[in-house]
Amino acid sequence: MTVAWQQEEKRLTPDEVQAVTFPLSRIGRRGFDEDHVRAFLQEVEREIVTLLNEKVSLWNEVERLRRRIITGMKQPGNNDGVLFGREDAHVHAVRILSNAQLTADRYVADAQAYSHRLTEEARNRRDEILNEAQQHADLVLEEASTRAREAALATLNAPVPNQMEADRSALKAELAYLRTFGEVYRTHLRAYTEGMLRSITEWERSEARTIDQASSEIGGSYDLGR
Amino acid sequence: MDVLGLKDSFSRIASYGDEVPLFFYSDLFIKHPEVRDLFPISMKTQREHLIGALAQIVAQVDRLEDLTVFVQGLGRDHRKFGAVAEHYEAVGDSLLATLAHFAGDTWTPELGADWAAAYGLVASTMIEAAKEDEASRPAFWRGTVLSCEQRAFDITVLQVRPEPRLDFLPGQSVAIESPRRPRLWRYYSIANAPREDGTLDFHVRLIDGGAVSMALTYGQEPGGSLRLGPPIGVLTLEATSGRDILMVAGSTGLAPLKALIEQVAARPAPPSVRLFFCARAAEGLYDLPSLEKMAAEHQWLTVVPVVSSELRSRGESGSVTDVVMRAGNWSGHDAYLAGPSEMVRDTAARLTSAGTPRSQIHIEDFGWSEP
Repeated sequence: MTVAWQQEEKRLTPDEVQAVTFPLSRIGRRGFDEDHVRAFLQEVEREIVTLLNEKVSLWNEVERLRRRIITGMKQPGNNDGVLFGREDAHVHAVRILSNAQLTADRYVADAQAYSHRLTEEARNRRDEILNEAQQHADLVLEEASTRAREAALATLNAPVPNQMEADRSALKAELAYLRTFGEVYRTHLRAYTEGMLRSITEWERSEARTIDQASSEIGGSYDLGR
Repeated sequence: MDVLGLKDSFSRIASYGDEVPLFFYSDLFIKHPEVRDLFPISMKTQREHLIGALAQIVAQVDRLEDLTVFVQGLGRDHRKFGAVAEHYEAVGDSLLATLAHFAGDTWTPELGADWAAAYGLVASTMIEAAKEDEASRPAFWRGTVLSCEQRAFDITVLQVRPEPRLDFLPGQSVAIESPRRPRLWRYYSIANAPREDGTLDFHVRLIDGGAVSMALTYGQEPGGSLRLGPPIGVLTLEATSGRDILMVAGSTGLAPLKALIEQVAARPAPPSVRLFFCARAAEGLYDLPSLEKMAAEHQWLTVVPVVSSELRSRGESGSVTDVVMRAGNWSGHDAYLAGPSEMVRDTAARLTSAGTPRSQIHIEDFGWSEP
């Protein structure tokens, strides 16, 4: 594991410290005390051994951490992706932004699905109401024409003028009733339909307001002026 | 360039599916945040378009002629989105980063160089086409809504004045973007022949859950502004054929056909035109008064309203295709069809089997163009 240190062979080893010899100084000249020198060299040797051991364990620790980062950074399903260092931070950022984008996509999709359901339901309900109204109108028309036919027959068959007068006023009342009935019915139908259209418009406006509000809160990404 | 190598590496990368464009756009937006503004809020459709375009480019990388037409179209199309030459470099960087990321250790310097060269070719073709286009027309037109008339529960007719004048052929369409739905473009046919005052009519049908149609129908008010893309489309009049004309319009498919009728009306000797105007209910025949008025003015024009599902109706009822086929022999006619794609497909098939040559049947085809 120590291979990574460069020029290993040129460096001082504990053995070299141990084996070093110094020429003796000439007699009568001043020199180091040989025992002191040897004791010091032993201390240096121990120190170097300790340093080398520390270096090996630190190198192992570095390797261990590097392996851990690589494993953590591998893409799911991509067993070959080896990434670390600054790239890691970028890939992290990409992943965070991607998740945020997916969340936004889901919000939009949900809103769209909800809007789809609402319009679909409104459309169906509206068709139902119009159908009912149409059937109702048909019935009313049919009834009116039956009555008109009956009244005409009654007039034809009426023998006495007095009776005819009475019948005529009865018919007038009937006609007035039918007319009022028709008017009331039309008013109701119109109010109903208009009410529906109003609520649809109102719904769209409030949606617009919410979106405008949301976009002003989000700011730049909705720059409408561009 | 190692074409097989490119195709092979793309098919492996593409197997990661949506993750690939997701990584690409995130990488692009982190490195160039200002580009984010050019895209809609939801990127789902965008990602599908990107992978679709890449797949098409890679599939045609060895058929340069077809590829060039496609890529030139892409380049022109991207002008209205606000793409400029500088963006292409940023996109290239992020594209290579994405490809390298997903290729893992199958990524080699040679493969990288091939991809860079291929992208360079695509980008320069797009930029070139956009530049050429720039000389003749703007990236988009600003439109002012002059009126919006609600004709039915779900159909609104908009009149828009584009700035500057927008020249088009009758029957063509433009992409529209509403400020209420930024960066979402949808194609709408222009419902009139070119006018002196330059105004354009659009028939907009509210689609359930449709993002843009909602904004253009219930959310639209006079004075509002829109953006319009350049005119496209091939549903245009074959003026020299001399044949009589059959038109079948389903709902707002009427719009391009009405433009063609106006064009025919301006000709010195108009051929006979028979228009079947179809809707689900009588109420959906939203433009019938105007069509009947035209029919009263022009002897050569007949309008047949068709209602496909209703008890009481003003016109013929039943499947529009059945009604059309019952009404005559159309083998000597030019046929123009527009409306729901199912109706158009069915009618075209029935006409073909009844003897109308395919070359005489005109339907809309936007080709590569995706709004």
